Amino acid sequence: MKKMISLALALTLGLSLTACGSKNAENTESASDLAYVQDKGTLVVGITEFEPMDYQDADGNWVGFDADMASLFAESLGVEVQFQLIDWDSKVMELDGKTIDVVWNGMTLTEDVKEAMECSNPYFNNAQVVIVKADQAEKYQTTDSLKELNFSVENGSAGMEQADAYSLSYTPVLDQATALLEVSSGTADAAIIDYLMAVASTGEGTSYENLTYTVSLADEQYGVGFRKGSDLAAKLNEFFAEKYADGTMKQVADKYGIAEKLVEQ
Amino acid sequence: MFLTVIGALNEGFLQTLKLFFVTLLGALPLGLVICWGSMTRFYPLRWLCRFVVWVIRGTPLMLQLYIIFFIPGIVMDQSPWPAGESGRFLACAVAFILNYACYFSEIYRGGIQGVPRGQQEAGQVLGMTKVQIFVHVTLLQMIKRIVPPMSNEIITLVKDTSLSRIISLQEVIWAGQAFLKTSHGYSGLLWPLFFTGVYYLVFNGLVTLLLGRLEKKLDYFS
Repeated sequence: MKKMISLALALTLGLSLTACGSKNAENTESASDLAYVQDKGTLVVGITEFEPMDYQDADGNWVGFDADMASLFAESLGVEVQFQLIDWDSKVMELDGKTIDVVWNGMTLTEDVKEAMECSNPYFNNAQVVIVKADQAEKYQTTDSLKELNFSVENGSAGMEQADAYSLSYTPVLDQATALLEVSSGTADAAIIDYLMAVASTGEGTSYENLTYTVSLADEQYGVGFRKGSDLAAKLNEFFAEKYADGTMKQVADKYGIAEKLVEQ
Repeated sequence: MFLTVIGALNEGFLQTLKLFFVTLLGALPLGLVICWGSMTRFYPLRWLCRFVVWVIRGTPLMLQLYIIFFIPGIVMDQSPWPAGESGRFLACAVAFILNYACYFSEIYRGGIQGVPRGQQEAGQVLGMTKVQIFVHVTLLQMIKRIVPPMSNEIITLVKDTSLSRIISLQEVIWAGQAFLKTSHGYSGLLWPLFFTGVYYLVFNGLVTLLLGRLEKKLDYFS
């Protein structure tokens, strides 16, 4: 009986060692992500529904500034583009697990993001804005006035970084939509979310007619994220430079009314 | 607007139902296999089965979903799960079947061991084989005994399918949550998320009725 136990233990140990071994091997040979993607013939793009960057039109096709650019990029690589909705918290795991090839969804380039992914050059300017109830908006037009509020921010987001930077008191929540929900239902006084999202989901014609945005906390930039060490990031930078120079990028941005915030490549 | 939202939720609930039925179909027989393994006199197999049951029952299903879906691709050069929704469904099905089979196996074991040993001995005296004893003496009594605890697990399973959203299977909660941002041309809608509760409630009502009827039907010896 004891022999059995020690045998089982030895087996487990052996298995875990091989697991570590193969992982190290993989890290050193991950040099050509480009070859990997071209070999399998698809570029799987991790997205969330985020108008006007990635969203579905009436026919169920993925459109938006990011979706259109991703399709063009895949075309230039000679592969099929495939859009995959993901849980935003799991984006790095999705990349490392090779269940997606790229995160292309209006992603703010934070220190954390740059640490975890191989990022492209910034291509779009965005800001983090404070969301409050519309009837209280007048009181909260300066950064000083924010100290007394309880914030709700998406866990790990650029909004959370700003809350930390201004040492505001906050509760991290699942996503930006939940942060809005918290403000609307009164469980938080205010939220910090993307400017683009604030424009799209507050005010008249949305479920959050009672909310509005006030102070702009930080200007920030959007980038595209690949697996750490991937050569696709450099490839995309070339692609961006080329498409910016020939006006394609501006043309696509114009289609969604966001050309003024493009970053020169 | 209402129709669009309902259409999207229906589509999501279809995934929920698919996962529910696939899990039942896989876990009911697999549970019996694990149950048999955990009672066998061949001790290495018995320990292995009990070890697996301990690990699976001892860790959150949410974590198991993460591990089954992401770890293979991180360790190997390529993810074994096909790209797209089908790969995610497959990973969910594997995780749910394994998880529920372990719970079912323990319920089965309770059902089998609850049948008095004397009945098996009586069968042996009558010259029945082990298989005959199991099929004709133990099995029916076991089925009758396990219906109430199984009902509990099955109803929990209906609701647990919602965990699959963390690896982005687009089931009904995902579909409802999508309207918080933007989905099918509508932004910032609150009610679809809460409305998904109606789907679970109605379906679980049906399941409860069905299982109640089954229990009555099996009420042949009390």
